[in-house]
Amino acid sequence: MSVYTSGIDVGSTYTKAVILKDGNEIVSRAMLNTGFRLEEAARKAYETTLEQAGLNESDSSYLVTTGFGRHLVGFRDVNVTDINASARGAAFLFPKTRTILDVGGQTMKAIQLTEEGKVKSFRLNDKCAAGTGAFLEKTARYMGYKTEEIGTLAAVSKTAVPISGVCAVFAESEVINHLSQGMSPSDIMYGSIVSLVARSVQLLKRVGMNPEFTLIGGILRFESMSHVVREQIKTEVNVAEGDLVQYVTALGAAILGYRRFEKIQREGQQAIAGA
Amino acid sequence: MTETKTDELVGRGNKEGADLFREWFDSLADAAKNGRGAAYVFVMGSMAELLHVFDFPLVLPEITSLQTAVRRVADTYLAEAEDYGYSPDICGYVKADMAVQLRGGQHPMGQIPKPSVAVMSNACNTYIKWAEIWERMYGIPLFVLDVPATRQAGGQFQPGSSDFERDRKYVEAQVRELITLCEQVSGKKFDIDRLRESLGYANDMNEGWRRVLELNKSKPSLFNAVTDGTVYLGVSNNLRGTKKGSQFFKNLVEEMEYKAAHGIGTQIVEKYRLGFVGVPCYPIFRRFSEMFTEWGGNFVHSTYLNFASGGGNLGYQYDVNRPIESLAEGYLISVREAMDNMFHQDRVVIDWVKNYELDGVVYHPIKSCRTVSTGLADGRRAMMAATDVPSLFIESDMMDKRVVSEAQMKNRADAFFEGLASRREMAKVAQT
Repeated sequence: MSVYTSGIDVGSTYTKAVILKDGNEIVSRAMLNTGFRLEEAARKAYETTLEQAGLNESDSSYLVTTGFGRHLVGFRDVNVTDINASARGAAFLFPKTRTILDVGGQTMKAIQLTEEGKVKSFRLNDKCAAGTGAFLEKTARYMGYKTEEIGTLAAVSKTAVPISGVCAVFAESEVINHLSQGMSPSDIMYGSIVSLVARSVQLLKRVGMNPEFTLIGGILRFESMSHVVREQIKTEVNVAEGDLVQYVTALGAAILGYRRFEKIQREGQQAIAGA
Repeated sequence: MTETKTDELVGRGNKEGADLFREWFDSLADAAKNGRGAAYVFVMGSMAELLHVFDFPLVLPEITSLQTAVRRVADTYLAEAEDYGYSPDICGYVKADMAVQLRGGQHPMGQIPKPSVAVMSNACNTYIKWAEIWERMYGIPLFVLDVPATRQAGGQFQPGSSDFERDRKYVEAQVRELITLCEQVSGKKFDIDRLRESLGYANDMNEGWRRVLELNKSKPSLFNAVTDGTVYLGVSNNLRGTKKGSQFFKNLVEEMEYKAAHGIGTQIVEKYRLGFVGVPCYPIFRRFSEMFTEWGGNFVHSTYLNFASGGGNLGYQYDVNRPIESLAEGYLISVREAMDNMFHQDRVVIDWVKNYELDGVVYHPIKSCRTVSTGLADGRRAMMAATDVPSLFIESDMMDKRVVSEAQMKNRADAFFEGLASRREMAKVAQT
């Protein structure tokens, strides 16, 4: 009989849910805006995945939450940090991963893994959202574009406009300044991506530049992002196809759920007590 | 019988420390009320032993400032100093103190008297600029005790060598100058027997402090170096060279020896033994500690307890038969030790990993103190190269809650403990 486990990543911008079969097959996934009712968003994402998979809640043997809102989901079995979950997810998709770059809505993380795929060390962005998805989103919005148009916009750029700051709050004045000087929105957008990547490469250097590199997180759905990372670190990088790149952390949570469930089956509930 | 003894001893240090703190602040409030001029001094190189001879009330502005953070009112003090013109980027202790001065010495625990003199060492480069503000405000004399620092990590000059003796004489000459200055400011003649008495009390305190830190190698550890340790540290500074301070440390040693003999640890079940590097996060002091204790993490040592005790951790014993010479020697050795715990902390921490059997090390650089924070990233790298112990690097501040992001710190701390747990699991598997 198959074992289903679930992972929900309650991120600052999006909530993602994944249902995994026997610890190795994604049977469904769903994503929606997190908003400000975090548990409700998690519940909706979870129910959507259950429905897609044709399962009931009781069919899912273990539920692990992760992301910044992980503590607020009352119906979870356990919560883990997004650092651990990301590591599991990335190593599952690309087993030779040694370094992960995760660029999300408000955080940016560089994680170094051991050969066993466990977290060796990690670095996170500073306290502000500088150099994260929020910066790109605000830049796009100030120029009248939606978040989903960022990729298309940057793809038609001819030259990157140098962006000196990466402050999501001050982005507006910098964008207005460039527009007033006749720069095109696509070049400004691409310049923002180049600037953001420079900041993320700095973080990668701090954690250690060990190949293989795997890029994850919402911002990586824009192809130009991974393209610029490849250019700047002069190495090939792994990126999950399509929107799966946004689900890596939720996937990692579901994998951890499977491991934990297996352990309980094997050794009893006391095996994880206090863990 | 044992239960009665346990009730009597366990937790006594924290209670007595808190009582002594209140008494000390009350005595300063009395001094302020009576218009007595104080000696303003700092935790690294206070020269308290000597200043007691001239009956100066001692004000430690670093401690007054951190109290505003612990009592969650630092923001109003910082804002007041910034309104006055100080930059948000300078030391939070300086700004809180400026607000206290602008309020006529009023602070959350009472009132401090105005200074008659300020004494500082070169252990912190902000001390001198800070004291120059008082000099301008009150027209008081300043005295800078220039203590030769370590020239090369691991190559400190030791007593008996000609290099050490040259440094010691340099400090001694300054001590003699300070005696003259204190006589002028206080109008009192220097009494060498009173210095001997004060040094004797300081000896008890130094030895007690060294012993207490040593006893925390016990398993489980006996106290939390960040929370409990800060209380003991406060007494070591406020009451240095006094009878009350001496008695406090005798009592504390008794308590810790009792706890060690009976296997009594802190209030948590100790799962992970941690080292702490830097200054605590006072604006959310309790919550900051809980981020670690709720995972079973206990801080068994902290560089803060070494440098902020002015190097008292070495337990230096003054020779009361040659008090001035020995005072100079003690300050040379101890203040140098304080500086080493900031600037060469990697060596200290690597030693702890082995001797205190650490499972992890937490580095906590703070925005408003570059002196203690600048080298931490390098220190961490050196520690990681020399040992196999995981570390956590979290940044916040000792005073300014505007740069304290609790959620982000917690996320990092959680990930750190998940890593420690997973590491332990793997070690178990490898053994089977």
